[in-house]
Parts: sequence; structure tokens; C-alpha cells
Amino acid sequence: MKKREYHSKKWLKKVKRIPGYIILVLWVSFTFFLLGWVLAASLSTTAEIFSGNVLGFRSGFHWENYRKAWVSANVSVFFKNSFIYAVSSCLLLILICAPYAYALQRFEFRGKKWINNALAATMGVPMVMVIIPLYTIVARSGILKEELSNRMVLILLFVATKIPYTTTFLTAYFANISSSYEEAAAIEGCHPIKTFWKIVFPLAQGGVVTVTIFNFIAVWNEYFLSLLFVNSERLRPVALGLFSMINGMKYSGDWSGLFASVIIVFTPTFVLYLILSKKIIGGITGGIKG
Amino acid sequence: MKRNKGMILAFTVPGTLLFASVFVYPIIRTVFMSFFSITEITDSISKWSFNGLGNYITLFRSSLFQQSLWNIFKIWVYGGGIVLGVSLLLAAILTDNIKGKSFFQAVIYLPNVISAVAMATMWIQYVFNSSYGFLTRFFSMIGWTSLAEIQWLDSDNKFWALLISYCFGMVGRHMLIWISGIERIGSGYYEAAGIDGANKWQQFYYITLPLLKGILKTNIIMWSISIAGFFIWSQLFSPLTPDTSTVVPIVYMYFKLFGAESVDIVSRDAGSGAAIGVILCLTIVIIFNLVNRLLKDDALEF
Repeated sequence: MKKREYHSKKWLKKVKRIPGYIILVLWVSFTFFLLGWVLAASLSTTAEIFSGNVLGFRSGFHWENYRKAWVSANVSVFFKNSFIYAVSSCLLLILICAPYAYALQRFEFRGKKWINNALAATMGVPMVMVIIPLYTIVARSGILKEELSNRMVLILLFVATKIPYTTTFLTAYFANISSSYEEAAAIEGCHPIKTFWKIVFPLAQGGVVTVTIFNFIAVWNEYFLSLLFVNSERLRPVALGLFSMINGMKYSGDWSGLFASVIIVFTPTFVLYLILSKKIIGGITGGIKG
Repeated sequence: MKRNKGMILAFTVPGTLLFASVFVYPIIRTVFMSFFSITEITDSISKWSFNGLGNYITLFRSSLFQQSLWNIFKIWVYGGGIVLGVSLLLAAILTDNIKGKSFFQAVIYLPNVISAVAMATMWIQYVFNSSYGFLTRFFSMIGWTSLAEIQWLDSDNKFWALLISYCFGMVGRHMLIWISGIERIGSGYYEAAGIDGANKWQQFYYITLPLLKGILKTNIIMWSISIAGFFIWSQLFSPLTPDTSTVVPIVYMYFKLFGAESVDIVSRDAGSGAAIGVILCLTIVIIFNLVNRLLKDDALEF
């Protein structure tokens, strides 16, 4: 009797979860349907999109949409640009912020408290509060006229605006690494800078990887700063390139090409997410204080 | 220790310099600029003319700016209610021993890693499209013709289309924040409540919610910061000129700085642009203080 009651209770518990499962399945199905439709549209023709027959693939798979988007719609250029911006920003951010965070976490020095407070406060400052003076300086100096210096300005801006987040994230990570390694290294006579790069930095790999993924995704998708500071079509990152394509749709009318471009733009971060979703999700939930 | 001194300098100077030149100096200069009348954003200080609070007064008198403030306020309140509510519901479901939890949360978070431009394009060009769009097709399939006929991108409905599509992407991040809070509440509370005969809803209402005050605070602040930077979605829904149904302060500011297609709508003035930045920044500070005061987690320790 008791056993049966237990079983029915367990069963009841399962039944009560059904509405929850229904909500989750509907939500996830919608997401998949949305992405699936866009993928299908990118492989069909504009005529098929407008007649609503995207999922039938009656005229086969139109891979040439991708070739057209990649070559004639310049998506390859945007893609290459975003790649350059994201990789160099991520590298610079780690080179600057890992030592910065380490010094802020391990040592006592004048101004440390001020720096920590300023870093925390600026994470809440909207970008619009800083872009006007930055634009004035950059535009007046004329550095946007040269392609290379324009690229460098963009990368520097991406790096500088991500310093507060990256440093704060890494500071929390260094706090969990025991300082006994450094003490041992100091007794052996190892220079502290060498100790940091050779011993502590490798131990912080987990945090470095997580924060780099976030920075990569953010810079890859960046829009606002590029809108202001990119002076030539050839320097546009993917978000800006896609936006200009959308505005040109009225004239070109190549909808399947547009959806192919959307898929191309979306693929790198999506693949990164497929491989590293555990790390990404852990990075969000781990850094939150209640 | 002496060796450390050199090291501290080497480790902190590059970061501090970059950080200060992109945040500290520009913030001060923006505040300063907001009290001046400046036609061109690149004008040198000698061309600025002092305007006192004039920029702020003109802004608040401009009907388009009022509309942009009203829109962003609606996005903050309605969107906040929808996003925080839905994400809490999903978090509550997912923390109740659901099978495939990590799969579900990964898919729900997915829109956050996709470019907002790509995301918005999918919604505008597909979901809301009036001829082949998802909503039209779906509602006519299930026979709700009145819903199928809604023109989502008409000026009457555009705001809601914008809000729904934006919220859809934001739910994932807030859901993860809720989950991290819920999972920190020990299962002991629930077991005890279960023994006392409290059902799922009572447990959620009497245990989870009060203990989530701190996480609610985090959620509101994160949401408010995102809204203060709200720009891309508005620009994508009305690409070339400010549209009263979707205009937000940063879009207005963009036109103030660089001009709109039609000069009658917005005249160029970098000083007012700076004033908009100051207004948004102050709003964040006020919200931050209000939230900290209203949601003081004093009595609860766990």
C-alpha cells in the first residue's frame, strides 16, 4: 500500500511537470523553426520565398546564393574584417587585462581602490556618454583617412571599452588561485613578472578562455562603434555590412542572398557556441552575485 | 618589494591609461559639452557657445525627443515585465529536475550569441512579413484569420513587433541569472516545505521569491543597462529616418550628431547630443540607487 502511494506520488510529480515541458518544447521549437526557415530560405530562390514554398526545395538547393553573397555582396570582406577585429582585440585584451587584473588582485598600492571602483562603475555607463568626445578626437586627427590607422583605432576602441568587463572578470578568477606557487617561485629567485606569465597565467587558463569567448562574440557582433568610426565600406564588420545590405534590399531584391548572408554572419559565433556552450553558460551564471 | 613596484607599474599602467582615455576623460568632456551649443561635432572649443541648461530645456520641449523617452520608458517597463517574468518562469521550470536541462537552456540562450542585426533581420524579414511570414502563416493555418491579417510592421503595430522580437532574445540571459540564484537556495528548504505539505506554487511563492531579492536586483540593473544602450533594434525597424513609433534617445542623438535625411526633423547639434548622454547616464544612476534602496536584502541571510 505504502509503496503504491509512493509510486503514485512520484507519478503525480511527473504529471505536474508536463506543462513546463510543453512551454520549453514550444519555445525551443520556435527557435529551431526560425533558424531552420532562414537556412532553408538561404538555399532557395527569391521567387520561392515570396510564394511561401521555402521548405519544399522544389528547384533544388541553391548553393550559389552563398557564393554570390560571399563574393559579389562583399560578405567575405566584412567577414575578414570582423575576424581581424575580434582576434586582435581578444589578444590585446588578454595581454593588457590579465596582468592588470593580477596586479589589482594580488598587490596593495596607491590608487588601487579608485581603479577598482572606476572599473565597476563604468560597466554601467552607456556608450553614448563617451562616444562624442572620442569621435571629435579621432575625426579631427585625420586618422580615419588611412585604412590601416582606421582599423587600429577601431581595435583600440574595442579593447578599451572591454577593459572594465575583462579585468573585473579576471580579477575574480585570480582570487581563487592560491598564492603559494608565487611564494615558492620567489624563494627560488624567479622574477615576479616571469612568475606571472610562466606559472600564474597558465593556471588562470579557464577564466582567460571564458572571457575571451565573450569578448570574441561581442566584438564579432559589434555595431555601434563601427557605425561611427568606420570610414570606408572596405573596413565594415559583419553587423554593419549586413545592415547596409538590408538597406540596399529595396534596390537589389535578392532576398535569398540576404538570408545567405545572415547565415554566414551567424555561423562563426554559432559554431563557437555549439562547441563551448557549457563554458559560456557557466561564465554567465558563475560571475553573478545575488 | 622593490621589484614588485616596477612590476605593478608595468602591469597597471597600460590598462589604466587606455581605460582612462576612453572613459574618464570623455565622460568629463561630455558633461561639459552638454552645457554648450555646438553645431559640428568636430568644432573646437573656441567655436562652442555657452548655453547653460538650454540644451536640456530644448530637448525636453522637442516632441520627437519626448516621444523617444516615452518609447524607451515603455520598452523598459513592458519589456522588463515580460523578460523578467518569462525568464523567471523558464528558470523555475528548468530548476525542477527537468530532463535535458542543459539542452533547453543552451537553446534559449542562443539568440544572445547571434549578431543583433542578423536576429532582427530574421524577425523583420521573416516572422513579421505580411505575405510569407511566420505569424501570418501560422495564424491562418490554425484558422485565426483576424490575427493572421495583422500588419506587424505598420506604424500602429511596429512598436509591439519591436518589443516582442527584442524580448525574445533577452529572455535567455536573464533566465540564466535567475537559475544561478535559484540553484544557490539549498534543497533543504524545499524538502522541509514539502514535508509540511506546501505545494509547488506555495514553495515557489514563499521560499524562492523572497530569497531571490538579490538576484532580482541584478536582473533589473542588467536590464536597465541594456535598455540605456538600446539602439540597433530601433534602427533596424526604422532604418533611415526616425519613426515616432520606434524612435529611442540614442537614435535621436545619432541624428543630432550626424543629421537625418530630412533636416526639419532634427537639426544638428552636438551639445544636445551630449545632453542626451548625460540624461541616460543619470537615469541609470537613479535606477541603480532606487533599486538598491527598495530591494535592500537586509533581513534575509542564506
